[in-house]
Amino acid sequence: MEPEPSPLSNGDSTAAGTTTAASIASAVAATAAPIQSARINHLAESLKLEHQFLRVPFEHFKKSMRSNHRIAEKEMSTVISSVSEAANRDNMSQEEAVNHLTSLVSRLQGLKRKLEEGSKSENLQAQRCRARLDHLDAAEAENLSEWNNTRLKRILVDYLLRLSYYDTAVKLAECSNIEDLVDIEVFHEAKKVIDALHNKEVAPALAWCAENKSRLKKSKSKFEFQLRLQEFVELVRADNNIRAITYARKYLAPWGATHMKELQRVMATLAFKSNTECATYKVLFELKQWDYLVEQFKQEFCRLYGMTLEPLLNIYLQAGLSALKTPFCYENDCSKEDPLSQEGFRKLANPLPFSKQHHSKLVCYITKELMDTENPPLVFPNGHVYSTKALEEMARKNDGKVTCPRTGQVCSYSELVKAFIS
Amino acid sequence: MELGSIRDAFDRVAKKQKLCSSKTQEVIDQVGQEIEQALAKLQALHDPSSLHDLKTILTELNGKLKEVGPINQIEGSQKELNVGLSKYAKLLEKFFNPDISKAYRNVDFDTQTINQIIACHFYRQGLFDLGDCFMNEAMEPEVTLKSPFMEMYQILEAMRSRNLEPALKWAANNRDHLVQNGSILELKLHRLQFVEILQNGSRGDALHYARTYLSPFASVHMAEIQKLMACLLWAGRLDSSPYAEFLSPTHWEKLAEELTQQFCSVLGQSYDSPLAVVIEAGFQGLPTLLKLANVMAAKKQEWLAMKQLPVPLDLGRDFQFHSIFVCPVSRDQGSEENPPMLMPCGHVLCKLSIVKLSKSSTRTFKCPYCPTEATVALCRQLHF
Repeated sequence: MEPEPSPLSNGDSTAAGTTTAASIASAVAATAAPIQSARINHLAESLKLEHQFLRVPFEHFKKSMRSNHRIAEKEMSTVISSVSEAANRDNMSQEEAVNHLTSLVSRLQGLKRKLEEGSKSENLQAQRCRARLDHLDAAEAENLSEWNNTRLKRILVDYLLRLSYYDTAVKLAECSNIEDLVDIEVFHEAKKVIDALHNKEVAPALAWCAENKSRLKKSKSKFEFQLRLQEFVELVRADNNIRAITYARKYLAPWGATHMKELQRVMATLAFKSNTECATYKVLFELKQWDYLVEQFKQEFCRLYGMTLEPLLNIYLQAGLSALKTPFCYENDCSKEDPLSQEGFRKLANPLPFSKQHHSKLVCYITKELMDTENPPLVFPNGHVYSTKALEEMARKNDGKVTCPRTGQVCSYSELVKAFIS
Repeated sequence: MELGSIRDAFDRVAKKQKLCSSKTQEVIDQVGQEIEQALAKLQALHDPSSLHDLKTILTELNGKLKEVGPINQIEGSQKELNVGLSKYAKLLEKFFNPDISKAYRNVDFDTQTINQIIACHFYRQGLFDLGDCFMNEAMEPEVTLKSPFMEMYQILEAMRSRNLEPALKWAANNRDHLVQNGSILELKLHRLQFVEILQNGSRGDALHYARTYLSPFASVHMAEIQKLMACLLWAGRLDSSPYAEFLSPTHWEKLAEELTQQFCSVLGQSYDSPLAVVIEAGFQGLPTLLKLANVMAAKKQEWLAMKQLPVPLDLGRDFQFHSIFVCPVSRDQGSEENPPMLMPCGHVLCKLSIVKLSKSSTRTFKCPYCPTEATVALCRQLHF
């Protein structure tokens, strides 16, 4: 039975003598300081894990700037070349010239409007980057539990978005007021491509590749090639061989230099057809190739935005489970407070390593408090160990008698011996 | 934390971005003005059919635009911006850990299991709409914990509007379990109800309530009940009595918390969300894990096959759910085969260490921590 924490014990310790009370107080104060600084240290260390939190909005910001810049550059060079072209023409009438220039003027006005809008969204994104910096700055020892709460929500939203549970993600962000701290907008861009791929359309994915051409090239991505291969396979499936060959000449050939093997393999499907039983080629016609493309896209997308390839939740779950996993978690009397007492967590922890301890850490079976020099372990004659606090309390209530809660052994408090654990 | 310098770097980027976009606007205006001027000249031409004049104007415009060099201007400011951008990205990589998945084991991490855990988390936090929405979207089967947690939140909701009926009913139904936990939640709920009646109803009602509901507790909690009975003397003006403390609203908050605790315990659930506990442990443990992964980067296979981490991940004491004994001599973790043993002097070593010290239990030995002599027969196995 769990003893009620009674106010009596406090009264007793003060009665025992003010000197001990004072020395305990100073001891507590002395240990409180290192605990506090250890906590701040922990916090600083775990803040360093937040790279993605700052990186993604920054990449988004950068992307908006780039696309605005590209628009400005493109429109501007069209205008310039159109003027120089007009200057070189010989047979232009005045009316034609006036119309031509007027259209250029309105074109520039259109560009201006577009850029104004663009810079509005740039500003919003800059604001988001700042909001994230502010949020990291706001993490302090005093508000840590609330801050951790928000952090859990953030990484839940990250998980939901990555697994395409958009509605839940939006709902969670809205009801917790953390829209600025999660990347819903960024994932909307991905959603379009993913939805299309699920419908066996590659156009949006190809458009996305074109948009991010230089960066994909830098990371040596072959995602575009894979999309092209799939389109080719679809043409073969539909028996459109001539078109397939034309397609291959145009879109596959450029990849020959770097990916000859894959190219040759796919070209062979022309000979094998979609109903082939030959395993090497059969697999190319399987519909799960599309799911594979979705997975590929997600990876490319995450890489481009500086995200981890795995959901944050999975990463922290693994780390947390490894840190908590001990052989004792799998025993029947495992405390319910231990997440590893639950089937689901045990299953996830299965392939993970056990944690390691260099020093003993003993928890009192009765009070669940740590047993240390302040609250040393006491041993029953039968070898069962409980904290001094718990047994003192029990003895006070029962005229100096103590009962072992696991075996029922009864003895007097004076029969207990102290164990020294180093 | 060096957040200050990161913020400064970002401010520089934002400033350059503003500069760049205003520069672009400026250039567009400039080009626009040139074209409009040319347009005005064209329209003012005396002899509209003179192709020569027309061409002169257009050539002149062309020349002027070349002089302005709008593309170069835009590029120039963009280049400067790019420098700032890559500097900031590098700064982020320097101060933060750019890849926290380095220690990730690419093992089968079952999505459905994770989804079930998330759904339970939503329900136990009282986010029922969100939980339902999630189950729907993820196409997961119903979670069994939903309806009990719904009941719990209904009870808490009723308590917030000062209705103890559902809470009392639940406590009565789970009396045995509560007693087993050593909880006097039921008495506390009745006490609260009694005080409510005393404050808002008549003395007679309160007395009647006490007779019906408080008397069964008399055998164990006499002192408490005596205090409550004394309250009857101050019916209606308890606030000016020695027992004014009973009226404190903190009782309601504390009781709501205790009820949550007991409710979870009856369900066989933890008080804190297990997901939140694991994730917090993850945040505390991951920095060390990443350092380890860095050190072991060359031995990837060894890392993946490892059954136990080589270093401790120090978590706060809130995460200590089990007693772990580490032998101070051998540094081995205590286990069933190699349990902790108490020597007569009170120091504790693991069994294997003691066997070694006693040369396979053949002779007396000295404790490594104090000069006391011991024999194996005098050592006792401990159970934490």
